[in-house]
Amino acid sequence: MKLPTLKGVATEAKLLLIGVPVLIWTLLPVYHMFLFSISPKESAFGGKLWPEHPTLHNFEVVFGQKHYYLSHFWLQLWNSLLIAVSVGVLTLVVATGAAFAISRLKVRGGRTVMNLALFTYFIPAAFLAVPMYKTMGTYGLLNNQWALILAMVTIASPYSIWVLKQASDKLPYELDEAAKMDGASPLQLFRLVYVPLMLPSLVAIGTYSLLLAWNEYLYAFLLLSNDRQITLGVALGNFLAADDSPWEILMTVGLIYALPPAAIYYTFKRYMVGGLTAGAVKS
Amino acid sequence: MASVSFKNIEKSFGSTKVIHGIGFDIKDGEFMVLVGPSGCGKSTLLRMLAGLEEISGGTIAIDSKVVNDVESKDRDIAMVFQSYALYPHMTVADNMAFSLKLRKAEPKVIEERVSRAAKILNLEPYLARYPRELSGGQRQRVAMGRAIVRDPKVFLFDEPLSNLDAKLRVAMRAEIKSLHQRLKTTTVYVTHDQVEAMTMADRIVVMHDGRVEQIGTPLALYDRPDNLFVAQFIGSPAMNVINGTLRRANGSAHVEAPGGPRWPLASAAGTDGQAVAYGVRPEHLSLAGSGTPGTVAAEVTVVEPTGAETELLLTAGDAQIVLVSHGRPTVNPGDKVNLAVEPGMVHVFDQKSGARLAA
Repeated sequence: MKLPTLKGVATEAKLLLIGVPVLIWTLLPVYHMFLFSISPKESAFGGKLWPEHPTLHNFEVVFGQKHYYLSHFWLQLWNSLLIAVSVGVLTLVVATGAAFAISRLKVRGGRTVMNLALFTYFIPAAFLAVPMYKTMGTYGLLNNQWALILAMVTIASPYSIWVLKQASDKLPYELDEAAKMDGASPLQLFRLVYVPLMLPSLVAIGTYSLLLAWNEYLYAFLLLSNDRQITLGVALGNFLAADDSPWEILMTVGLIYALPPAAIYYTFKRYMVGGLTAGAVKS
Repeated sequence: MASVSFKNIEKSFGSTKVIHGIGFDIKDGEFMVLVGPSGCGKSTLLRMLAGLEEISGGTIAIDSKVVNDVESKDRDIAMVFQSYALYPHMTVADNMAFSLKLRKAEPKVIEERVSRAAKILNLEPYLARYPRELSGGQRQRVAMGRAIVRDPKVFLFDEPLSNLDAKLRVAMRAEIKSLHQRLKTTTVYVTHDQVEAMTMADRIVVMHDGRVEQIGTPLALYDRPDNLFVAQFIGSPAMNVINGTLRRANGSAHVEAPGGPRWPLASAAGTDGQAVAYGVRPEHLSLAGSGTPGTVAAEVTVVEPTGAETELLLTAGDAQIVLVSHGRPTVNPGDKVNLAVEPGMVHVFDQKSGARLAA
């Protein structure tokens, strides 16, 4: 075994010196959320690092919908999921098509359209919320989950198009030419060559837009108002309307709400690696 | 099997004209090599034939049918790209079958053709592998296999060997040539390597700056280059070219070069006093005994033995000369020698136009 060199130890130490505080900094709020969720109501603010009588009672309340604010917990969780997945899928369809047209088919004016779309990011999304509300009202979509889905797709698309366009630019153009010579129509090229090769980027963008919709509060709050249609995130916000907020329940739901994104991230993490195009061309 | 004909082909990118009216015919079954330095338009010409570039002017015909407005997939041609352009997410077998699947061929036909191509190219053990698991030479063969399975009218090769190492390049060169002899498919092959062109071609088209300099069989180009460009481009090591003045006196002629040497001419066109370029290939020079009439005095600067032959770098007058000797001359740098020129193996070009002076 090789003995560690002084320089190696010093580097390691420096990394730890930065890493440990960052880790604590990141995990501390999550830990407190977890503490709340396993504490009885009385001792929730006890200020201890571990409750004297840890309990799963809060989870029982949440899963059993045994609280006034949680009477539609499962429905609202389903709403969140449905909306997030729809946004992910729709954004992918829009952004992949656009990136393919701009980057591979080199549609005239494609770049201009992309830059114009990116331009919308100069205005904070929060400022666009009211105009968006009015637009949805004009089309009679208020209180309809489509309103939120379309709004989130609008917000997620420009960035997604840009990322996918950059990724497609890296695919060797000879592949398109080879497919063209082999007799592929643009649609066949898209389906049989482009999409399979873009898969890692598509997974990344799909996850991004899905999580964006999952975590959205403002637009969801504005565009949906019926208790049976709102997302769980909005429902959580309603907790704060009460004078005596049930913090331990709120934190329990928060913890549950954070689990799907974590699961999604870990499921798709391995797809997000590059290297799929290895062997296509010699560079 | 098909003939190809280019008529007055022009190509512009924006306002830049890169091909200026090229026309020639390729016979059925012929192996035609387009060769020239980079930027001469050879790849562009090939890509126009492939249908990957618009044709700005003139017509391209395959089997006498003008294909200017025919989509590349309907031209019945297959192309092997310099970068191979294999589909990385498909196995070798799927790569080769892709075009047939797009054409909705019967699975039985696909399998039969793929296995035939794999057999020809020795790819049978690799059919289930992915391109990333193959070596450069194997990838190159898969790219060729993808072309073969289609049984196209014309094969196009765009510098297919330039990504391979020198040894593999020589092997693949022979493989492509034997493939052509076996399949007898009309082939257009683009390269910047004149050795590749010489060894593989039935006929060569030498291109330069978007124009055709000369078309002919490899040996015809070598023996009788039409102009200075072809003379210097074809052959390795390159032809010695000495600028000088043509002198005629009493029925004999020579070229007087700066620094004094008089290069002998057996017979020559051109007028007395004309500025000419005197060309002689390194293997047509030899060392002669001192005092032999009609020789040129020179000084050895470098001796490069390669075993089979020896390359001498010499200075004659102001000119640098290369001599290739099949023997092993006993000379050393600094030696004064006399160079004999093989009669009838001299090429004289007009200095200004570069055109060959008929002799």
